[in-house]
Amino acid sequence: MSDVLLESEPSMDNRSPRHGVEQLSMQQALNLALDEVLAENSKALIFGEDCGRLGGVFRVTDGLRAKYGNGRVFDTPLAESGILGMAVGLAMAGFHPIPEVQFDGFAYPAINQIVCQIARMNYRSRGILPMPITLRVPSFGGIRAPEHHGESLEALFAHVPGLKVASPSNPHEAYHLLKYAATRPDPVIFMEPKSRYWQKGEVHFDSADATSPPDGSSPGGGSPTGAKVMREGRHLTLVAWGAMVARCLQVAGLAAEDGIDIEVLDLRWLKPIDEAALEASVRKTRRAVVVHEAPLTSGLGAEVAQLITRSCFDTLKAPVERVTGFDVPYPSGDLEDEYIPNIDRILFGIQRVLEYRRG
Amino acid sequence: MAEISFPLPDLGEGLIEATVLEWLVAPGDQVERNQPLVEVETTKSAVELPSPQAGKVVRIHGGPGDKINVGEPLIVFEVPDNTAGIVGTVPKEEAPKRRVRLSAVLDED
Repeated sequence: MSDVLLESEPSMDNRSPRHGVEQLSMQQALNLALDEVLAENSKALIFGEDCGRLGGVFRVTDGLRAKYGNGRVFDTPLAESGILGMAVGLAMAGFHPIPEVQFDGFAYPAINQIVCQIARMNYRSRGILPMPITLRVPSFGGIRAPEHHGESLEALFAHVPGLKVASPSNPHEAYHLLKYAATRPDPVIFMEPKSRYWQKGEVHFDSADATSPPDGSSPGGGSPTGAKVMREGRHLTLVAWGAMVARCLQVAGLAAEDGIDIEVLDLRWLKPIDEAALEASVRKTRRAVVVHEAPLTSGLGAEVAQLITRSCFDTLKAPVERVTGFDVPYPSGDLEDEYIPNIDRILFGIQRVLEYRRG
Repeated sequence: MAEISFPLPDLGEGLIEATVLEWLVAPGDQVERNQPLVEVETTKSAVELPSPQAGKVVRIHGGPGDKINVGEPLIVFEVPDNTAGIVGTVPKEEAPKRRVRLSAVLDED
């Protein structure tokens, strides 16, 4: 597994032209990261539905067309297969495409290009045609959108050899993870949690290591290449990514009122998964619950549970529990509240683990 | 703030115009997504048009009895810059609520 781990670049902490700390929303942090990538890399291109003139339906590419011109930031037809097919061709010609699929549910028509071309071209060409493509995908639910506008596709993408998958949980992570992803030689599926676009948080430009979780707890360690401890605890590890990290931090705050000290691990990279971070956390806490929005069956929670079990089997106090969405199509509108793991469902999962007794 | 214009959509298959019967909102109103905006009549039926988005109504086009062509401006909204054009609803940041309490005897072995 170590041969596919992301390479750590200590020097990249100093790559940001900005310094200090700013209070930004995730959409602003992503916009800033894209702005800097375009400025630093003349081969970088941004395109997708409404990415140009409108600035994206979530305003993430706002102002970039005006600044860099229609040749580098442009609108495409409503044809996801075409958007990703164009990305393949541009990457073969030496460009660094940063395409957007407007909503995760629109990624399905592009699966052939993603799986059969983007993920395999480097392998197929024996390294002659790398695919330095960062595919931005507004992901997950939480905004009560219509069908196809909320999905949770991480397990689908993580299952495809050749793809890397990342998901930021707050503005700081969004800025640093996107800048990192956009400078990789490999394709990265970048899953932006759309329900977190508007929440503000501190972005520390000088260090990708620093972070300010939304609950105000102490910053965790780590680099932009692995998982990150967002809150330290002794009794149980909550493993999450994307929008579920903020919810798990809320749960940890509530559990503390009950005398349960919970560690929250933000996976950040869903492929490859930071096994060492999982092991270090769960060896300490000896209990783990994985939380994700995707359906239970064959979700990434099963992968995480196996990795934990393999490395921590002798110290685990209970089987790893999963708190997830249900095995139903991702519901639209108000039904989301019943589907997405809420605070009580996560607390129940924690309680099941705490109650477990051997034999 | 950004202004977003909503043109009269084709309300049937190939209809080219509709007649305004009654406006259900007025300039200055704050409307929610799916809130009825206006009742219009086509050659097929009279229908209420739901709002495609949340926002403040800036202008409405056409009074009762006026014909509007499909594709021409019907209503203009004003929305904050960071939510202009989005599909769905910006989630509210709420204090965490719970009904479940944890109870555990933790043997620290």
